[in-house]
Amino acid sequence: MTWSARGFPYQEHEARRKVDQIGSVVMVGSGKGGVGKSFVASGLALSLAGMARRTGVLDVDIHGASLPSYLRVRPPLRTGRRGIEPKRSGGVKVMSVALFTGQNPVPMRGDAKESLITQLVALTDWGPLDYLVVDLPPSMGDELLSAFRLFGGKSRFLLVTTPSPNALSVVARLRRLIASERIPLEGVVLNMAYASERRGRSYPFGVADASSVRKMLRADVIAELPLEPAVNSESLVEVLRKSKETSTAFKALADRVVRGP
Amino acid sequence: MHEMGIAGGIVEYSLSLVDERRASRVTEIWVEVGELMQVDVEALSEALRTLLSGPKLSGAKTNVKVRSAAFSCRRCGEGWKMDEVKKQLASVPSSLLVEEPDSDEVPLHFLPYLYPAFVHCPKCGSSDVAVADGQDVQLMRVVLE
Repeated sequence: MTWSARGFPYQEHEARRKVDQIGSVVMVGSGKGGVGKSFVASGLALSLAGMARRTGVLDVDIHGASLPSYLRVRPPLRTGRRGIEPKRSGGVKVMSVALFTGQNPVPMRGDAKESLITQLVALTDWGPLDYLVVDLPPSMGDELLSAFRLFGGKSRFLLVTTPSPNALSVVARLRRLIASERIPLEGVVLNMAYASERRGRSYPFGVADASSVRKMLRADVIAELPLEPAVNSESLVEVLRKSKETSTAFKALADRVVRGP
Repeated sequence: MHEMGIAGGIVEYSLSLVDERRASRVTEIWVEVGELMQVDVEALSEALRTLLSGPKLSGAKTNVKVRSAAFSCRRCGEGWKMDEVKKQLASVPSSLLVEEPDSDEVPLHFLPYLYPAFVHCPKCGSSDVAVADGQDVQLMRVVLE
């Protein structure tokens, strides 16, 4: 008996096998650039690891990866017995295309991106994970759709926005896409919701009250994170160690992800 | 080591086919490896032979072939082959080489779809490069008994 597997995509099979070892996937996205998706993804992953959950974070931002900067990981990678070993930061396993390319630009079109993401998932030796946090790039293109296809069955989505109306209107479009693709929505994270100053709080990106956001995005605001300028000069691991305000907000977010509403 | 990982996935999948199709064993496995992956065919064949043991796999023949890669520039239309790419990959900085037990490898060995980050047109220098095939591992045929 011959089983003709002509063109059988081995990498696809291997990627699915890796995903099977993951308990739950949390996709962190926005549609809008510059709202702090990588900051939120990194902080959530670190806080989940802080709760003794086996956690990985995967950066699928092919062109503008910033996750390695937040978590202060860099090339080179190394191989292990079951694939490439992810880097580790604060107890979190970290993988990003930038760990292969360094500062090289990665110009790439459509389907190649999907194949690249599949290969990246297939060859990474995550081991068993309770949570994989996926850091998505802006836009609703190949990377997002690839993540939906690979992780959709066991994923939840975390929408990140700032209080700015410009950001919210883009996020609202992604909200509709998430609904049409039937990805469960965990909630909305208002990032840079305020800045803490000596005399109290200021609101550099405006004020978005929770009820109007709920109405616009048909989802609850489950975390409000402060503007955290320290991430420009220190790793997020250090920032969370030093800033009680930011670490408390992230712990509450992680707690919500673990325990549900 | 990467070859062993690829072999492991292929063997595991072939084994799952035996159960799925209610066959008794695997007799042949045909694999094609993209040239861009720069996989050592002999090392992959050896890894497969090592892993093909036990009543459902022992004695299975393997056939591993390389799928050629060809490149073209979307900006100027220039075309070239893997020899030129190997020259370019020789200049990948050591800081980006993936550490392996025996020898360090260029990232394309693991993620061939990353070629635009490392390959450019030898004529005009553009990174807007198209590749015809040769970027993947494909399981072409599994014969069961």
